[in-house]
Amino acid sequence: MFTEKVDLKDFEKQDPEYQDLLRRVLAIQADCEIGGPNLYVKHILPSAPTKLDQLIVARTAAEEMDHFRKMARLAGDVGVDVTYTLSRPNQERYVEAFRGEIKTWEDYAVFGFLVDRVGRFQLEEFLDCTYLPLARVVEDPDIIREEEGHVDFGTNASAEFAAKGGESKERIQRAVDYWYVKGLDMFGNSKSYRSERYMFWGLKRRPNAVARQQYKDEIDALILKMGLTLPDPNKGRLYTEY
Amino acid sequence: MNTMQAAPNTDALDQQFKEFIQGIKKAVGTGIPHLKDDPKIVDQAITDCKEILDVVMEGNVKEWLA
Repeated sequence: MFTEKVDLKDFEKQDPEYQDLLRRVLAIQADCEIGGPNLYVKHILPSAPTKLDQLIVARTAAEEMDHFRKMARLAGDVGVDVTYTLSRPNQERYVEAFRGEIKTWEDYAVFGFLVDRVGRFQLEEFLDCTYLPLARVVEDPDIIREEEGHVDFGTNASAEFAAKGGESKERIQRAVDYWYVKGLDMFGNSKSYRSERYMFWGLKRRPNAVARQQYKDEIDALILKMGLTLPDPNKGRLYTEY
Repeated sequence: MNTMQAAPNTDALDQQFKEFIQGIKKAVGTGIPHLKDDPKIVDQAITDCKEILDVVMEGNVKEWLA
C-alpha cells in the first residue's frame, strides 16, 4: 500500500499507474461536476416553482461550476485539458446518470436527494488521499458543505412531495424509482480491478461495494422515512454485482 | 522544482470560471433580499443568472478563451 504524500512538484516522479489513475479520476470528477448543471439548467431554471427556487437553482449551478473549476485546475496542473467536458453532449458523459435531461421539479429534487448524495460520497473518497492538492480541495470545508446543501435541499423537497400524498407522492415515487438505480450504479463495478488500484495508491478509501452499501443504507432509511417504497435495487442496473 | 507542464487552457479556464461564478452569485445575492419587496430586482437577477448560465451551458470554450 502506497502511503507517501505527493505534491504537484513530485507528481511526475510517481509510478505511471499513479499518474494515469489520478489523471483519469480528475477528468471524471470534472465531467460529473459540470454534468449536473448541464442536466437541469435548461429546463429547471425557467420552470422552477417560485422565484426563490429559480435563484436557488442558479446558485446550485454556480457552486457545481466552482467544484468543476477546482477539479479542472487540478487536472490542468497535471497536464489534462478538460475543456472538452464543457462542450460535449450529455450523452457522452463518463457517468450514465448525467446522460439525459431533467425536465421536472420532482426529478430535480430527487437528483439532489440521491445523485448529489453520491457526489458527496465520491468527494469523501479523496479525504486524506495521497495526492495533496486533491486532498486540500476536498478538505476545504466549502466543497463538502455546498454538496451537503444540495443534498439537503433535494431531500427536503422530496420529503415535502411525499408528505402531500396522492399524485404528488406518486410522482416523487416515480422519480425515486428512476434515480435510485442510477445512484447505485454510480459507484461502479463491485469487482473493479481499477478500484483496487485506486485504493492501493491511496487515491480512494473504500472499495466500490462498501461505499455503495453505505450509501444504500443511508438512502433506504430516508426513503422509508418519507413513506415511499424502496425500489428494486437490481432493476435496470448496469452493474449488477453489488 | 516542478517540471510538469500544465495543460494549455488551465489558467484561462480557471479565470473565466471565477468570473462566471462570481457573476451568478452576485446576481443571486442581489435578488434574494428583495423577494418580498421588489419583483423587478428579482426578475433582473434571474435574467442575469440565466444569461451567464446559457453561455456556460452552450460550452463554446474556444470563444471564451480567445
